[in-house]
Amino acid sequence: MASLTLPNHYLPTLLRSHSPNYPCSQNLPLPSTPSNSQFFGLKLSHSPSSSIPSSSTLRGSIFAKVSKGSKPPNFTLKDQNGKNVSLSSFKGKPLVVYFYPADETPGCTKQACAFRDSYEKFKKAGAVVVGISGDDASSHKAFASKYKLPFTLLSDEGNKVRKEWGVPGDFFGSLPGRETYVIDKNGVVQLVYNNQFQPEKHIDETLKILQSL
Amino acid sequence: MYVSLRIDNITHPSFPPHYSAFSHFHKITISSTTTIEYLQILYILLFLTQKFDSSSSSTLPMYSLPHHKYTPSFYHKVGKNRQPFHPFRIFYSTTTTSTSKSNVTPLVIEPKLVPAGSTVVTTVDNRRPMNNDPSLQSTWSHRAWVTFGCTTLLISLGESIKGAMDLNMWAEPIVASWVGYILADLGSGVSHWVIDNYGDDSTPIVGAQIEAFQGHHKWPWTITRREFANNLHALARAVTFMVLPIVLVCHDPVVQGFVGVCSGCIMFSQQFHAWAHGTKSRLPPLVVALQEAGVLVSRSQHAAHHRPPYNNNYCTVSGVWNEFLDKHKVFEALEMVLYFKTGVKPRSWSEPASGWIEEIETSSQVQAQ
Repeated sequence: MASLTLPNHYLPTLLRSHSPNYPCSQNLPLPSTPSNSQFFGLKLSHSPSSSIPSSSTLRGSIFAKVSKGSKPPNFTLKDQNGKNVSLSSFKGKPLVVYFYPADETPGCTKQACAFRDSYEKFKKAGAVVVGISGDDASSHKAFASKYKLPFTLLSDEGNKVRKEWGVPGDFFGSLPGRETYVIDKNGVVQLVYNNQFQPEKHIDETLKILQSL
Repeated sequence: MYVSLRIDNITHPSFPPHYSAFSHFHKITISSTTTIEYLQILYILLFLTQKFDSSSSSTLPMYSLPHHKYTPSFYHKVGKNRQPFHPFRIFYSTTTTSTSKSNVTPLVIEPKLVPAGSTVVTTVDNRRPMNNDPSLQSTWSHRAWVTFGCTTLLISLGESIKGAMDLNMWAEPIVASWVGYILADLGSGVSHWVIDNYGDDSTPIVGAQIEAFQGHHKWPWTITRREFANNLHALARAVTFMVLPIVLVCHDPVVQGFVGVCSGCIMFSQQFHAWAHGTKSRLPPLVVALQEAGVLVSRSQHAAHHRPPYNNNYCTVSGVWNEFLDKHKVFEALEMVLYFKTGVKPRSWSEPASGWIEEIETSSQVQAQ
């Protein structure tokens, strides 16, 4: 299902992400790469599909974007120590998955340090925090070590998971988006929060929702 | 008249094309027997001395790094040390005898030998600038450029006023002038942000400016000791070259109003910047009033730029854009986009280098000057 969301930072004219330049129709083959679009706040996402889409595939393609109430697709990514980590391994406890643009950038550093500084609160709520960006494991290792981050950072090289989950970009896709998901212990998304330039707010919003879970 | 000019030259790329680059000691002997050739030789000499004269740099810093005697921008990139480079010693003699060539004493210009294969990286001069540093003083070249710049501005503004009178149309030129004033502040911020964050002293064309910006952050107070024409001449030169063609081609009062005020604010932004580094007690009351009214960038607003990590309050005309640009993280957004597009990180993302950290001027140092 398509969700209607509004840009939540100050510049309302910003149209995030790129739009697909193909129509979405049962008669046309869907593209092999996933894409996301946001048109005046109405988010749609498409995911890879066969060349002859069935209605169920099409429905899955259109609604593959992770939103509140949905169950996100599983993934397996390498952490900062090179170890494979799957989403399914976190089942049974609340999970905070935050997508951020890149290590060692000002906003991402602020965000990571804010998660670090509030980590006890997350632990108290029984939640696990996982950060995901397109950087490789060695970058994550250096980043985590430098700022003494107590949580897992995963390498989404090629931004595959980002695209699968439908994380919208900013400035017409020039900048990877900053979006946080709170997933309850049943694996259902309870919060999707996007804010590129106020990274500390992600912590406040996620803690608020965790307290209500 | 008989003049002999011998030029011993080790050239480098910044030399004029007719001196091709040699990698070794090379001597050229030129003999002249006519006035025209004499003038040509004189032109060459003037060009060479002009090029290496500290007062006529074509890539002068916008801000207040006091330089030694001018070294070409290339040598900013390549000098291992910062001693002045005087590549020529000129030995000159003339004789009016035309009877015998043997009476002519050759003019010898002996270049300083640059070691072959020297690899160089400049370092910021750590010498603390003194009040009487010659690089802070105005020269006639500076004054000339400021005169040209001001003349160009006056012509532009005069055209605007005259056109407004002829057409009895005042509102549009006034609005255009105001827009020019506002956009000049934005332009000052963008250019300041670029030069503060990208490139270094080896960057082509603007390397010297970038280095000067760095020096300004280390010794911000020196801008208040820079003489007027010295401070403004680089911008005055840019304004002259950019505005004069517009003045010659366009006579529309609205356009000239915009251009005159915008370029005037840009040209005088260095003065506004210097005032922003001044102390209230030493500034003219009118300047203080304009700063407090927000017409000129205030001392407190600009002081915020001079605190680590030096990534805000970039505008230096009126500062009217600073709050908007900082509040909405416009430059941060641009930095992120540029990083993802080019992989280049801005300087403000890293810990300030020692060349950026302000050296506090103590009262004893002030008294010593």
